[in-house]
Amino acid sequence: MRSRSAPGADSYTAFVNRGFGRVLARRLGLPRPAILRRYTPGAPLLAGPVLVVGVGAGADALAGALLAWQLDVRRHATPGERLAAIVVVLDELAHPDELSDPVRAAGASLRDLAGNGRVVTISRPAAADQAPAPAAARHAVDGILRSLAKELRAGSTANGLMLADGVAPDAPNTLGALRFLLSARSAFVDGQFLSVGTPGQAGAIDRARPLDGRVAVVTGAARGIGAAIARTLARDGAAVIAVDVPAAGDHLAAVANEIRGTALQVDITAADAGERILAHAAQRHGRLDIVVHNAGITRDKLLANMDAARWDSVIAVNIAAQLRINEALLASDLFTRSPRIVSVSSTSGIAGNRGQTNYAASKAGVIGMVKATAPLLAGRGGTVNAVAPGFIETEMTARIPFATREVARRLNSLQQGGKPADVAEAIAFLASDAAAGVTGNVLRVCGQNLVGQ
Amino acid sequence: MSAGGGRPAAGPSLSKLYVNAVAMAAKARLLRTAPVLTLPSRAAEVTGIRADPAKLTEFQHLMGQPARDVLPSGYVHALAFPVAMSVMVDDEFPLPLLGMIHLRNEVEHLAPIQYRQPLAVRAWARNLAGHRAGTQVEIVAEVRAAPDPAVVWRGVSTYLARGVFLPGLDKPGLDKHGLDRPATASAREGFDPPAATARWRLGVDTGRAYAAVSGDFNPIHLSVLSARMLGMRRSIAHGMYAASRVIEGIGSPKPDAFAWDISFGAPIFLPATVSLCVTDRSDDGGGWAGAGFVGWNASSARQHFSGSVRVLPA
Amino acid sequence: MTPRAPQPAPAALPRRAVVVGGNRIPFARAGGAYAKASNQDMLTAALDGLVARFGLQDETIGEVAAGAVLKHSRDFNLTREAVLGSALAPTTPAYDLQQACATGMEAVVGLSNKIRLGQIDSAIAGGVDSASDAPIAVSEGLRAILLDLNRAKTVRRRARILARLRPKDLSPDSPSTSEPRTGLSMGEHQALTTKQWNITRQAQDELALASHQNLAAAYDRGFFDDLITPYRGVARDNNLRADSTLAKLASLKPVFGKNLGAAATMTAGNSTPLTDGASTVLLASEEWATAHDLPMLATVVDGEAGAVDFVHGRDGLLMAPAFAVPRLLARNGLTLDDLDFVEIHEAFAGTVLATLAAWEDPDFGRDRLGLDGAFGTVDRGRLNVNGSSLAAGHPFAATGGRLVATLAKMLHDAGTVDGRPARGLISVCAAGGQGVVALLEASVQDA
Repeated sequence: MRSRSAPGADSYTAFVNRGFGRVLARRLGLPRPAILRRYTPGAPLLAGPVLVVGVGAGADALAGALLAWQLDVRRHATPGERLAAIVVVLDELAHPDELSDPVRAAGASLRDLAGNGRVVTISRPAAADQAPAPAAARHAVDGILRSLAKELRAGSTANGLMLADGVAPDAPNTLGALRFLLSARSAFVDGQFLSVGTPGQAGAIDRARPLDGRVAVVTGAARGIGAAIARTLARDGAAVIAVDVPAAGDHLAAVANEIRGTALQVDITAADAGERILAHAAQRHGRLDIVVHNAGITRDKLLANMDAARWDSVIAVNIAAQLRINEALLASDLFTRSPRIVSVSSTSGIAGNRGQTNYAASKAGVIGMVKATAPLLAGRGGTVNAVAPGFIETEMTARIPFATREVARRLNSLQQGGKPADVAEAIAFLASDAAAGVTGNVLRVCGQNLVGQ
Repeated sequence: MSAGGGRPAAGPSLSKLYVNAVAMAAKARLLRTAPVLTLPSRAAEVTGIRADPAKLTEFQHLMGQPARDVLPSGYVHALAFPVAMSVMVDDEFPLPLLGMIHLRNEVEHLAPIQYRQPLAVRAWARNLAGHRAGTQVEIVAEVRAAPDPAVVWRGVSTYLARGVFLPGLDKPGLDKHGLDRPATASAREGFDPPAATARWRLGVDTGRAYAAVSGDFNPIHLSVLSARMLGMRRSIAHGMYAASRVIEGIGSPKPDAFAWDISFGAPIFLPATVSLCVTDRSDDGGGWAGAGFVGWNASSARQHFSGSVRVLPA
Repeated sequence: MTPRAPQPAPAALPRRAVVVGGNRIPFARAGGAYAKASNQDMLTAALDGLVARFGLQDETIGEVAAGAVLKHSRDFNLTREAVLGSALAPTTPAYDLQQACATGMEAVVGLSNKIRLGQIDSAIAGGVDSASDAPIAVSEGLRAILLDLNRAKTVRRRARILARLRPKDLSPDSPSTSEPRTGLSMGEHQALTTKQWNITRQAQDELALASHQNLAAAYDRGFFDDLITPYRGVARDNNLRADSTLAKLASLKPVFGKNLGAAATMTAGNSTPLTDGASTVLLASEEWATAHDLPMLATVVDGEAGAVDFVHGRDGLLMAPAFAVPRLLARNGLTLDDLDFVEIHEAFAGTVLATLAAWEDPDFGRDRLGLDGAFGTVDRGRLNVNGSSLAAGHPFAATGGRLVATLAKMLHDAGTVDGRPARGLISVCAAGGQGVVALLEASVQDA
């Protein structure tokens, strides 16, 4: 993993975590964002014991599964012992009264949670066809989780898994998603839920190269988040077709050569873009497994001043192109073996943003598209999800004026901007077998940004 | 004159000849010696002349040609030139050497000459004649390549002593040697140039460069100052530089036997841009038979020279 | 010159050489975007783009051959150095070659022949030129002095040699595009040919306009998306004037042939500008391409070089292809009518038009080509249909690679015509009265 710092990178976080800066920040009560632990191949999943809280068959089975991962599993807390993670199993809730014991038990151990710790709740979604009491109990977890995430410090995160009825806490698909949330791959994912819709089948998983043998297309791969996605997918074993507009071809070629992939210069708004991508994949690999719709543009303007060019180009690139390419993918024989589509949305598409009606429309549109596309892919064992990045340190955000950037960067529970690699890790997870049960989801990679959900 | 050593330098030294010529011209003016009206009867002869390979190479490169082992026709002229000059500085020669204008050259190059062959050069003057601008004379040089007794190269150079009129010679206009041909006459008025097939860009050092490879250090070619001393406004290119360069560029490689001629018109004041037109001629069978050429000032269209090359039957 | 009898068709070689694809950087007018880029920089960039397009990272290619017309002495191993700096395997051998503006074509033809002979399985042909970063040498005088000085053994001798130094020796010697034997620039030579064949200003301007319009249209429909990789902020050939008009072209002043009597017709608009750029073409045997899951756009069928005696004006400097193409087509049993695409390098609009005029001239056909009459007519609808050098620019050695990759893609897109593979011709004239032409056809794989 490369650790190049983008221009305008977060030198504040580095400052307050070292020597004099640390003393100064502590004395002045300044925010002290932690240095997040990020994934490096070969590093252990967790640096210490994991506490599994909860009673019932699900919790026991899960504890057994975690033991099989060679983790140091605790079913009961030993006060004073530093914990790397706490998993709260709440899959059998029938009434809000049942929350007290497990939630407070978890709370009692928070003091022992090490820096960069993980809290993961495992529960089930509320639905309209349920009785009011279980629905209340289930939805209560939402409030607990999002609040807890805001209480954690020192780079620790809290996220939840929502298991569909019939999906056990130790089901293969549950474990795949849980592993992601426990790992350093989810460093900038905080206060979020992932829904697991199917139990899945156990199979051998190559943990070092989970995408080995897969062929992946990444659009907008010439720079920024797209380049990070291409690098991460390649690191995880995928053969990457790096796609970008012809005008970005020089950067694209550099990325492709670095990751031993191929460069495909195509404007994704071209009518035949999907066919050209498929033709390239067919010619070079004879298959296509993963498509990451990352390419996107911004043309900000208050709606009162919005011209057709700004509006239309953002819609064309950010959502219309994805729709057209997905149509081609769905019609192709190449894209049939557990295919994966991951679209990059944005927190602007969830919470809205002043001056970005066009951009927010396109990114909210992506969310709508993902939800509607999921059933279309389910038949062939495929999934489609969106990832919504918050403030990510890129060349683009480096151009935001300093004060605005500094505020935007701190407006989340982790008090810092994410890195392109954080988005890439989430996407690599969604593209992998481990996420086989996750489809139609929108996963925010935002450090629990204060806006929106 | 006796046989020299192995190099042309062992023949008459050209710079010494020029010094003598200047001294003689001064002496003639001062002493008002009665003019000589006939040509010297004896020929000058030097044997054992050999080309200096380094100088030969420089000469060939200056002409834009590869360094071959056979001597360029113009280089043979340069080797023979000191012998020809020695004729013109003879006490009995009727015309002053300095200020002499080169009007025309006719050469028969009868066989290839290897640079290692020792050469014998024999030169004499002939055909002293009147010209409307003075008096002209032809200097003939014959070159033999030992041990073969046959002449391999014969050159006739026609010079004009401008403003020198000797009693008893033909009047202008009655010239029987064709020197006042229309082409030459028109050169003075400018002419309608054809499309150029080549162009030479000649720097101010063209005269010095040619002097260095040919040994012809006539001051009118060397610098503006030395040319002014002899009444020229600027230095001029050697006629033989132009001749050698144009001849070398035509019909390469040359047939074993060929003839060429060149007539000089307006002098080439340096620096200069000279346009050329070379027109190849074919024989009945479509083979190359020769070429005509003409050179002129690219901007003023004044003609500098014209001439021809033709294949001789082997 | 007596017309050369057509040689027999090349004996059936064991295998074919195919064009897999190409990559070039956009061509930029000299002194502009690439002013500080060296030949090695640009060739490396073109190679890296090719590697990225076809996933050739760490691949050992059979041979890479490329060259530059204007070359620094330090670039004695230009192509190998570019390979070493690229993402190709360092075990890839490379060499420089140079045939003036036909450098890229000769690289393609020569490497294709090696592939056909089975000596290599894959190859990259290329070319690069920088008119901006052109080599400037010390004067001939200073050079001679420095060399002599190096040979001198004693201080005294060195002092004598140094005394030869004159101020003028210190002025540098810039490269010239003039023909060494005539002292005329290429434009002045073409002006003679343009006049000889009575090519009008109007016809030249129309050809130039078509070149710009065709190139612009090709860009707009994404034709060059997989042929070009941007470089130094340039994504399109920056000589391209998509908004050019006949009126604008007609308003330009003539620059060549001004003293030829008749009105001069050659302008900066219908002549190529000095240009910087680099191009590469990936060639392979069909087996290698298949094994590497690479596309096969076109087969390099045959090539032919030619030269004319231009020194005294018997033929125009840039007219060698007028002789080479008839020989090439005769050897392959073809006529101009059998070609679906004709790419004639637009050194000048006059070059293309004089070549076409010569082919249409019965006297030229009889007297110079040894035919019964005129060689033939090129259907203008098949000529340089995606633009050519007048619009794209002409970095001398890089033009061949541009043409081969462009034509190969056009042939691939056309597929079959009348039940046979689409055919195309490339004709490139070069300094020194030379030319290299080649015949390509679409690579149609049996399903």
